[in-house]
Amino acid sequence: MSSLLNVTFPVLAHWMIVCLLSPFFLGVIARVKAFFSGKAGPPVLQPYFDLARLFRKKCVYSSTATWVFRAAPVIILAAMMALSLLVPFGICKAPVQFSGDILLAVYLLALGRFFMILAALDTGSSFEGMGASREAFFSCLSELALFMNFITLALLTRSISLARMIGADVPIVWGGMEPTLLLAVASLFIVLLAENRRIPVDDPETHLELTMIHEVMILDHSGVDLAYLLYASALKLFIFFGILVSIIVPVRTGYPVTDTAIFLGGMLGLAALVGIVESSMARLRLNRVRLLLLISFALAFFGLIVTLWRA
Amino acid sequence: MDKILFGSWPVPFGEFSLKLDPLSLVFLIAVTILAVCAGAYGFGYMRPYQGKKPLGVHAFFYLLLALVLVLIVTANNVILFLSAWELMTISTFFLIIFNDEQPPVRKAGFIYLIASHCATFFLFLMFFLMSRAAGSMAFDVMARTTFPPLLAGTIFLLSLAGFGVKAGFFPVHVWLPHAHPASPSHISALLSGIAIKMGVYGICRVLCIMKVLPVWCGYVLLMIGVVSGIMGVLYALGQHELKKLLAYHSIENIGIITLGLGAGLLGMSYQAPFLAVLGFGGGLLHVLNHSLFKSLLFLGAGSVIQETHTGEMDHMGGLAKALPLTGVLFLVGALSICGLPLFNGFISEFIIYFGLFQGLLGLPVHGVIICALGILSLGLMGALASACFCKVYGTVFLGKPRAGSSHSPEGMPERPTAQEGVCREGTSKWMLVPMAALAAACVLIGLVPRTVTGLTFLGAACMAHVDLATIQTEQVLVPLTMVIRVAFLFLALICVLITVRRLLLGRASVPIRETWGCGFAGVSSRFQYTSSSFARLIVELMKTVLLFRRHGGQVTGAFPEKTRMDSSVHDASEEMAYRPGLDFLNDVSKKLGHGRIRHTQVYLMYILLFLIFLLVWKMK
Repeated sequence: MSSLLNVTFPVLAHWMIVCLLSPFFLGVIARVKAFFSGKAGPPVLQPYFDLARLFRKKCVYSSTATWVFRAAPVIILAAMMALSLLVPFGICKAPVQFSGDILLAVYLLALGRFFMILAALDTGSSFEGMGASREAFFSCLSELALFMNFITLALLTRSISLARMIGADVPIVWGGMEPTLLLAVASLFIVLLAENRRIPVDDPETHLELTMIHEVMILDHSGVDLAYLLYASALKLFIFFGILVSIIVPVRTGYPVTDTAIFLGGMLGLAALVGIVESSMARLRLNRVRLLLLISFALAFFGLIVTLWRA
Repeated sequence: MDKILFGSWPVPFGEFSLKLDPLSLVFLIAVTILAVCAGAYGFGYMRPYQGKKPLGVHAFFYLLLALVLVLIVTANNVILFLSAWELMTISTFFLIIFNDEQPPVRKAGFIYLIASHCATFFLFLMFFLMSRAAGSMAFDVMARTTFPPLLAGTIFLLSLAGFGVKAGFFPVHVWLPHAHPASPSHISALLSGIAIKMGVYGICRVLCIMKVLPVWCGYVLLMIGVVSGIMGVLYALGQHELKKLLAYHSIENIGIITLGLGAGLLGMSYQAPFLAVLGFGGGLLHVLNHSLFKSLLFLGAGSVIQETHTGEMDHMGGLAKALPLTGVLFLVGALSICGLPLFNGFISEFIIYFGLFQGLLGLPVHGVIICALGILSLGLMGALASACFCKVYGTVFLGKPRAGSSHSPEGMPERPTAQEGVCREGTSKWMLVPMAALAAACVLIGLVPRTVTGLTFLGAACMAHVDLATIQTEQVLVPLTMVIRVAFLFLALICVLITVRRLLLGRASVPIRETWGCGFAGVSSRFQYTSSSFARLIVELMKTVLLFRRHGGQVTGAFPEKTRMDSSVHDASEEMAYRPGLDFLNDVSKKLGHGRIRHTQVYLMYILLFLIFLLVWKMK
């Protein structure tokens, strides 16, 4: 009994932290953007209020939709929660670690995306088909860049477990392989913006424009389903923030309080950075987005070359 | 482990024998499962043809094919193997041309026949070299022979040429996209599920016999895997005919299998037995997995075609409502082929990835680069395959029916209504049960991989010539167990989230409304994204390698006139290499044949001259 508790407790604690904290950073980004446009902006806790409101609302379904449409939000949220177990956040170690868990991480992302696209196509709306097509295209490119970064990180840390690749072994790597890691960080930051559909790739603010990807795919979802989807995107953003901050800020003082403070500071800084990028840039034209993603791939590729050359 | 099943079968000038080793066993299992499932499906699928076509002949060739497939994987002798191989080609040919009143079907059959026979030429050459060096026609004697490196390299290349055509390596795959859509669906399932795997089996057998191959062989095999895989999936994205798309996906999956085999071969060359077992084991497991999910998808496509009388995806839509059970089973197949967790495709791809990452961390620099390339292309294939199956499932099963279905690619007669043994959705039980069995096998391997990994690793150890006890396969099986645990956690989460939603929504009925048309009232189902428009972004990025052609569709002026647009993707290797090459050969033979020689006397003179030449040659 106690062994079962030993296994389940870290999982539940991890979920608790991830689920409680993740919407907060959406609020921070919105606040930073409001600051740069000279507005007061919504309270930082606004995403929580939105979610609470949506959880109280009923759903409406399209007459065209099948069970896939109803299953998708559940599957997507479950996939993101399962994925969060593989990622360490500061002093919270990843409850599930094994050799090769990066593959599971990438394929869980892909599973979520698969159902997101199917749900969009299920409504039979041309707008959502448009979003689905773009999502499928851009995710191919960003997944390629993600794999390239994982290859470089695996070579640097001699390990294929996410917990070691971005956690324990990174401080040693910063000692001698700075250029590679800098390239990887830059590349991963672009992947973060693309995967979470932030501004140079997609505009999370506007709700009905032909230029969008993610927002247009969830056009027909409502109530609890929409809440699940928004929660899933908050989790996804949080997971990517966690991965990137673990690489950028490899300080391990050994004092839990200091480490947590440093980690949270890093997360806030990254959220502010995303906010600044969003306020200072316009969304790229659609045919330019692929160039951005190819730049991300190229950065990671140079990282690999440097690694091989120095090794 | 090796067992002579049926020894000393005396025949004139020698004797045959059948042998079963773990490598044969992997393929034998796939043959057995598929022959039964596709056969049962065919029983329901062919019912509309009863009394209109000679079904007995079809059944005869089906059973003959099943028999010779078993013979191929168990043959221990070159002559027996080649006889079975030829019988496979011929029986498959007659199965493909079932609807032989249609010209495209006849053409597909002939392309298949010609391609197969050209390939067999290389096999004769290869087996001749092998038996000469070994002094025997028996495979187990050959396996005890040591081949010099130059000869081994030649044999390896010949085996790629000979078996590659059957397996469908890019660019010798041309018969495949023609033959699959032309044949009845259960035959496509058998073709794609197991007949093309015989090419893979041949290569595996040759690798097994050649204990030592030059290092470049591993690189060549891995590169073939990368090219076949990526080109296969890209061409698949460009298709809008359902079975042709699935045929191109077979090329992709053969690429994944070959990638695994190449990684294994690299492991053997660099004395890394763990990598060798992982590569070969992952490849063999993918053989089994692909035969399960690809035949499931082809059978599902058969049910769709029987319902809609067309294979054109851009005319379909909303079939999940008409065929709910087929829809779910097809989705299982689609998730498996994309290699998503919970399903069997993920397991084999995980093992191949794991092997490649081992190579990345363990091999010298050349090996590191090729392993990185392998990982990247496997990732790209996965992402593109997901995009492609989103497109297939989204346009065929989801959304609204798109208007217009006119012709039937298979000449399928109308299904008689009100039959016994027909379930709610109108598909015969004979067709649903085999599909359900295949889907169950996909999920079973996905959730309990140890059911098959033991066998495939044994087969891999047999190919790598190592003792499996010395390889720590637990190093990959333990992570797989963790994957399965996360998968079960994921399923539990889904249950919890569904319960939460039910609690939040309460008992009130959920309102059903039209899809929001963004304020536009005259929405028609023709507005939906079609499969071509869904894939357009990717296809246009790749149009230099895909021969993407687009006609019309330009809107000009303030009051544009009615216009039409069509786009299609053509096979570059067919249009740019084979067709010009064949035209050239035609020209040459025409010039040699007619224009020059008109009189019989001249022919006679040539014969005389040749005889004199032979006499002089022999007298020397």
